[in-house]
Amino acid sequence: MPPSPEALARAFDQFMTSAGLTLPPARRATVLASYADFKAQIALLHGRHEHTDEPAHVFAQTAETAR
Amino acid sequence: MSDMSIAAMGAALRAGSVTSVALTRDALNRIHAKDPSLHAFVLLTEDRALADAARADTEMKSGVDRGPFHGIPHALKDIYDTAGIRTTCHSKLRLDNVPAANSVVAERFEAGGAVLLGKLATHEFALGGPSFDLPFPPARNPWNPDHVTGGSSSGSATAIASGMVRMAMGSDTGGSIRGPAAWCGLVGIKPTYGRVSRRGVFPLAWSLDHCGPLSRSVEDSALTLQLLAGHDPLDAASVDVPVPDYSADLNKGAKGLKIGVPRNFFMSAAALTHDVLAGLERTVVQLRDAGAIVEDMALPDYALFGAAGRVIMMAEAYAIHEENMKTRLLDYGEITANRFVLGATVTAADYLAALRVRREVTDAVNDALRRYDALLCLSALSTAPRFDAPVDALSSGAPMQTIPFNVTGHPAISVPVGLGSDGLPTGVQIVGRAFDETTLFRVGRAVEVLSGWEGVKLP
Repeated sequence: MPPSPEALARAFDQFMTSAGLTLPPARRATVLASYADFKAQIALLHGRHEHTDEPAHVFAQTAETAR
Repeated sequence: MSDMSIAAMGAALRAGSVTSVALTRDALNRIHAKDPSLHAFVLLTEDRALADAARADTEMKSGVDRGPFHGIPHALKDIYDTAGIRTTCHSKLRLDNVPAANSVVAERFEAGGAVLLGKLATHEFALGGPSFDLPFPPARNPWNPDHVTGGSSSGSATAIASGMVRMAMGSDTGGSIRGPAAWCGLVGIKPTYGRVSRRGVFPLAWSLDHCGPLSRSVEDSALTLQLLAGHDPLDAASVDVPVPDYSADLNKGAKGLKIGVPRNFFMSAAALTHDVLAGLERTVVQLRDAGAIVEDMALPDYALFGAAGRVIMMAEAYAIHEENMKTRLLDYGEITANRFVLGATVTAADYLAALRVRREVTDAVNDALRRYDALLCLSALSTAPRFDAPVDALSSGAPMQTIPFNVTGHPAISVPVGLGSDGLPTGVQIVGRAFDETTLFRVGRAVEVLSGWEGVKLP
């Protein structure tokens, strides 16, 4: 179930505080709407993989880097 | 002279029927006439351009030939470092930035004897725009200045579509070459990730950033990529694979090619318009009539590509801008800052989930391209919107369909196929196998010919 608008707003504010970011109050509603859309996108990425499914860009040694 | 292709300009220069100075003066005259209302350029390097053109003429007269770009005017998006020439990223934060060295791309143009006309408008840091709160105004769409160009390579698209220059460099992290190309009636190619060095280009998101040209024709694009492609050991993403002849198959046509159309990408998209879909359907019929096998197929849901791309982009972009976001947030344009702050909300688990999806969808596209020579889909779902009806290019409902191939790294080209009922261009996107830009240019050229776009006069 998607989080409530209030829960989204609280989570967003916590992220801003912990990142040390201060948004002008007049922009908050616009950014919160983008955040809600972004969180819905992020939800699509989770819960679809087995523990063996590795991410892209897994580090690989090569003969060149070993030299 | 504005209708001359890069190859035609080169032939005329070598035949002595035109000089580089004449080509450069002609371009500058068009810039002076049109740019005050279209705002493609943030900096014009007029004196240097004329000096470089004169040098090219002298060299060519004395038998020195630096190749297809010798004496040809071009311009660079203002995120490409240019030695001794201000490079701002269209941002207040970098207004005083004068790089000491060229980007690799600028260096290749310089070594090839090309003539730099100036630096072009971009959405701020290749992300935030179109905006009216930046040091320079946003570039306007020459087809209708009340409409946006798309971004972020906005000035590049404006300069070419208005006839100021035949080819200009853009960059593409989520569609910033192909989107403006589609909305301005141009050809735009995002080469394979690792094909063109990104060194000296201000990054938006390291693992999604690509350098490539916008141009008037597929042939122009093939010639430009020929100049730029190649291994750069100092670019961590650069790949050491041979550079083929990108023009070799240009005119082989579509006969015998097998092309897949992932309709599940766009058929249920809310932003899809009749005009754009009609352009794609015409292209399918034309390719079949020309002897290609064109069939519907499916890729993973577009939403999955879009979500992975946005998370990766926001996380990497925030990492690049973190310090300035904390201390100078109000020096960014409002749109830029509003987008960048979302990067602070991405967790490590989110980013890694996006990278796991990245592997999954890249495998799926590679599988599809074992069955097909190329994929045909849309660059944009609509024609260019008006400035007063803005859309968030990164939102889940955005009218672009370009970011999937930044996520997977496959080469993709946008080719114009017609005009919509609003008089604005529509385009299709063709996707190829990694490092097989030669086939991509072949399909793109076939579409260009079959669509009749070459006969359409630019505004």
